[in-house]
Amino acid sequence: MLRAFSTAATGMTGQQMMVDVIANNLANVNTTGFKRSQINFQDLLYVTMSEPGTEVASGINSPSGTEIGSGVRAASTVKVFTLGELENTARPLDIAIAGDGFLQVTMPSGDLRYTRDGSLQLNANGELVTTSGYAIEPAISVPTDAVSVSIEKDGGVNVTDSSGTQSVVGTVQLTRFPNPSGLSNEGDNLLSETEASGTPTTGTPGENGFGTIQSGFLEKSNVQMVTELVNLITAQRAYEINSRAIRAGDDMLRTASQIVR
Amino acid sequence: MSLISEQVSTSIDALTREFDVIAHNLANASTIGYKRRCNAFSKALEGQDPQSYSPGTFDLNSTFDFSQGSVGETGRPLDFALYGKGFFVIETPNGPLYTRNGTFLTNQNNQIVDSLGRIVAGQAGPITVPNSVSLLQLNVSSDGAISAGGTPIGKFRLVDFQDDQNKLVPVGESCYRMPDATMAPVPAGRLVVKQGYQEASNVKVIDELVDMILVSRLYEANMKSLSAEKEASSSLTSAAMG
Repeated sequence: MLRAFSTAATGMTGQQMMVDVIANNLANVNTTGFKRSQINFQDLLYVTMSEPGTEVASGINSPSGTEIGSGVRAASTVKVFTLGELENTARPLDIAIAGDGFLQVTMPSGDLRYTRDGSLQLNANGELVTTSGYAIEPAISVPTDAVSVSIEKDGGVNVTDSSGTQSVVGTVQLTRFPNPSGLSNEGDNLLSETEASGTPTTGTPGENGFGTIQSGFLEKSNVQMVTELVNLITAQRAYEINSRAIRAGDDMLRTASQIVR
Repeated sequence: MSLISEQVSTSIDALTREFDVIAHNLANASTIGYKRRCNAFSKALEGQDPQSYSPGTFDLNSTFDFSQGSVGETGRPLDFALYGKGFFVIETPNGPLYTRNGTFLTNQNNQIVDSLGRIVAGQAGPITVPNSVSLLQLNVSSDGAISAGGTPIGKFRLVDFQDDQNKLVPVGESCYRMPDATMAPVPAGRLVVKQGYQEASNVKVIDELVDMILVSRLYEANMKSLSAEKEASSSLTSAAMG
């Protein structure tokens, strides 16, 4: 049968995955700290019918070969860690990372997870926690008699008590990976370390290339609605055209089978 | 066998292969850095002089169309588009591969790798991004020199094959290899590296669709002549057999 059938089918599967990725990006257009994914395709192996440079006559080599490819596959999806827009919320415990770095989060199991979602809150014990209630690492507790809390650019957490005295109760630290695209997505805005991401480096905001902490701001998703919609149209049309190739192949085979009637 | 059936089966064969090439181009309409294969057969048939046409000697010769694909912005610090003639070099255990897909990552050792984790060649070995700088501080100039936070850390090895470009053999995964050792790449001259961009596939969907229609119509026409031949010979046989 025609190789073109399976080739076009790989094209359709690829475009379908692209639509899946775009749908997830679009669904998270308002998710704090969300980073859009990008799908990358690669062509599949080629069947070589003749190599370039084969001798066709003495002293004459064919200038190019005949290789027929067998379609496409999705090579990887990578998260694009460009900065999202910072949105002013005026809530002192909302923090955005202006630049590179992740907040560390301690899971109930003791494992660390990483996030750029800085909508922090205080739990019943006065600890700084994420929206899902996981404590950030290093743990920072705010005394119960605190009147106001503020977070500085360098991550210092300042507390003012009822008598008006200020004190620093801890520092928010940031973490960076050699290959952030290698982090595994855990959902809930959390990422976890993998073999591919490399070992984390932890540091103080504003130093060694780490971003600074912007208190009173949240980092919005870096999904660009228009770009995604344009990609969606492209993917949809490419899907359609690949299916057209299957239909054209089918027509050709039908013409062939009609001969022997 | 009559001459017609021989001619028809040669051309059916070539048309089927050409259809496969078109389907492959269409499947790769979204593949970064993909270069389309030209479908030479039906084009050559169109221009064929009927006087000199001899059946069976016709060969499908699919060459690459290395024309520039459109360049689109992604904003990722490790996406690179090449503008002009030339390739990135990927180091593999089986020798270097050449690619125009500049979607790179860093591995756990901070080296710049392609999306399958193979090392991207620099002028002086692999390029390592120091741990002390973030990827957002990576800056690549148009000649491929990379600096991290202002300090130069290496330069991409960019090569060109000039007129031998068509002899490259595609190995899938958006890469090409050299057919033999006699070919030697030269450092690319007029090539611009654009950071934060990707080079889209140069497949023009409309052109492929038009070619696809042409191929399927030619196929149909060939089949028609085959069935006409069949009818003619069967009426001849029935006349002879009485």
